[in-house]
Amino acid sequence: MPRSPMTRTVLAALATGTFLSSAACGVGGGPGPAREAAKTGKVAGEITFRTLQLKPVFTTYVQGVIDAFQRKHPEVKVKWEDVPGDGYNEKLVADAQAGALPDVVNLSTDSFQLLGDRGMLADVARLDPQIAEEYVPGAWEQFKLPGKGDSVYAYPWYVTPEILTYNTDLFREAGLDPAKPPAGVEQFFDYAEQIAARSGGRYSAFMADPKGRLPGDWQKMGVPVLNGTKDAFAFDTPKAVEWVERMKSLYAKGAMPKESLLKSDDINQLYGAGKLVFGPGSPGFVKDIKQNAPQVYATTRVAGAVTGRLGHIGIYAQSLGIRKDTPHPDAAAEFAKWVTNGPNQVAFSKKATIYPSNAAGLADPYFSDRGDGTDAETLARAVGAEELRSAQLDANTPVQWTSQVGDAVVREVQKAIQGQQDARTAVRKAQEEANRLLANAARK
Amino acid sequence: MTAAPGPAAAGFHDRPPGPARWAPYLFLAPGLLLVLVFSIWPFLNTVILSFTDAQILRAGRFTGFANYRRAFADPDFWLATGNSVLYLLVVVPCLVLLPLALAVLVRTKIPGIGFFRSAFYTPVIASAVVVGLMWQWVLRSDGLVNTVLRALRVVSEPVPFLTDSTMLLVSAMVVTVWKGLGYYMVFYLAALGNVPVSLYEAAALDGAGAVRRFFSVTVPQVKPMMLLVGTLSAISALRVFTEIYILGGESGGPGGGARTLPFLIRQVGLGFSGETGYASAVSLLLFLLTLVFSLLGRRLSRGDES
Repeated sequence: MPRSPMTRTVLAALATGTFLSSAACGVGGGPGPAREAAKTGKVAGEITFRTLQLKPVFTTYVQGVIDAFQRKHPEVKVKWEDVPGDGYNEKLVADAQAGALPDVVNLSTDSFQLLGDRGMLADVARLDPQIAEEYVPGAWEQFKLPGKGDSVYAYPWYVTPEILTYNTDLFREAGLDPAKPPAGVEQFFDYAEQIAARSGGRYSAFMADPKGRLPGDWQKMGVPVLNGTKDAFAFDTPKAVEWVERMKSLYAKGAMPKESLLKSDDINQLYGAGKLVFGPGSPGFVKDIKQNAPQVYATTRVAGAVTGRLGHIGIYAQSLGIRKDTPHPDAAAEFAKWVTNGPNQVAFSKKATIYPSNAAGLADPYFSDRGDGTDAETLARAVGAEELRSAQLDANTPVQWTSQVGDAVVREVQKAIQGQQDARTAVRKAQEEANRLLANAARK
Repeated sequence: MTAAPGPAAAGFHDRPPGPARWAPYLFLAPGLLLVLVFSIWPFLNTVILSFTDAQILRAGRFTGFANYRRAFADPDFWLATGNSVLYLLVVVPCLVLLPLALAVLVRTKIPGIGFFRSAFYTPVIASAVVVGLMWQWVLRSDGLVNTVLRALRVVSEPVPFLTDSTMLLVSAMVVTVWKGLGYYMVFYLAALGNVPVSLYEAAALDGAGAVRRFFSVTVPQVKPMMLLVGTLSAISALRVFTEIYILGGESGGPGGGARTLPFLIRQVGLGFSGETGYASAVSLLLFLLTLVFSLLGRRLSRGDES
């Protein structure tokens, strides 16, 4: 029977709708509350271990760690699954929704916060009260959640500290002394202004990258990100406004590549091409530059990160969470401790440009060797490790500053930097939106 | 008349005996199941979620039309809707007309035209990310276009192709059109192949030149295809995301000024603090917008038939 035009329209509409709606179909319902696993004292059973993009480069290392653990605990079988970085978080959320989280799972700061807050991770401080001393204090404290007391929701794993890298040739060309890198945000901006004035547009000082700079720059300038009770954002201060005004002025003067206001993924290319004075602040980058731009590498110097009023850096650790209702809490906890112990973390750090969060691991002489003081890669390792030993929690990005809060703040700041609104309005609107998102996230 | 024995004896409308009655449904089942699980259910789920305040990993409570009221009061929603509609209004005419012109061109019999046919199709098979990155290097302030324009002294300051919201939208439109040219050209090549040569011969005998033949023979003959291309390109224009994300970064241009509806949906719905309920409501509104333009396309095609 031929369908009426109306029927066909409705069918076509439904087809289009289903097609489109796939963009929005998310997980809506919440999973039921997980029952807390209790230790039995028997290290046995099959556990799953999920890592973030470690295959194929680190397959041998990870498999070696697993094999050694299985030899030590023959009744445990570890099933390792490695997931690519792209879509890692989405898979994590989908698995959490389906009640299918792995027993031991690699978490970032964002994902640990979400899963911990939703009651899906085991309290590792309760599983193992003595273990805290084994980690660098800042790293251990990082995995506590506001309003959840002394509970800790993940074992700290590897860490990448912030450092300062710069091109000494361009530094000198701009009339600056390479032996005196900037120590505070304001001084960093002063240097950038001088670089912009002398570069003649041939190179820029730094990447604007407001998403990457905030809230770190504000913390270093002494701006309180949260109020005293940590339940509302409180960064709307004259200092924050001053930061936005300074960024706007420097952007107009050409201190930053224009497109870096929107994205900063080409930082390695720009620095490697000698078009940028300050390079990325991660030790891994120094290794990349050594391989890809040896000439620029030769002129690269490494210093401690700009710390401003804080005088120290924060810790941004990867971690291993334990699924709260894992059927094998003993095996899962033992395995997570095994992966994050000193020797295993040091061995990992020697294969990748990362640092141990484990106190004994960080004390390894490998991390204090400065060589002859001229090789940027060796220096980066020593400088980073030195900073980590004194790292403090107050320099971390607060867990309340989620990616969405960051995006909301950045949108207002971008408008101000481009002159579409004044700095005061930008900071006020950014705080309003950030508080709206925070209140929304706090809803139970 | 006596009925012949055997299966043929059964009347046409009689049901087949036994399990055979279920055979068609069994054949359909795998496909139907897939559609049900991956299309119909997510769609219905989106409708339900749009009336709740669900968040990632947190069940929602029924909030009535609150998400819709919020959307209508949200300046970001109107900005994104405006950008999406503008995108559609610019991109669709380009994607209806330019590929047709291109198809007519590559049908001409000149040496080496096969190379151009393939070349025009290359952007279709190139990954959207690669295309986006390539255009980013072409359009950035120190990119190819600005370098040429400045060398020729056409402009003194670089044109903000990527750092101005309006220019960013235009740049993204150019990329979408460039990428869609080859794709829709193939549609038109198929349609042009079906136009009877006798029509062209008759028109030529009547003294029609190339331009007249194009408008009086080619265009009317491929009109149904133009409507199809129009509808398809309208739907894809309303779903544009990648071009803006790659050219304008994760904020969607400076201050998020170039965000389209899919961009907004992703922004509010994904991530660890995603507001699934609100994102579903915006999704449904985008669906309604798509429906309006699809129906408009149908109305046009029906008007044409009558």
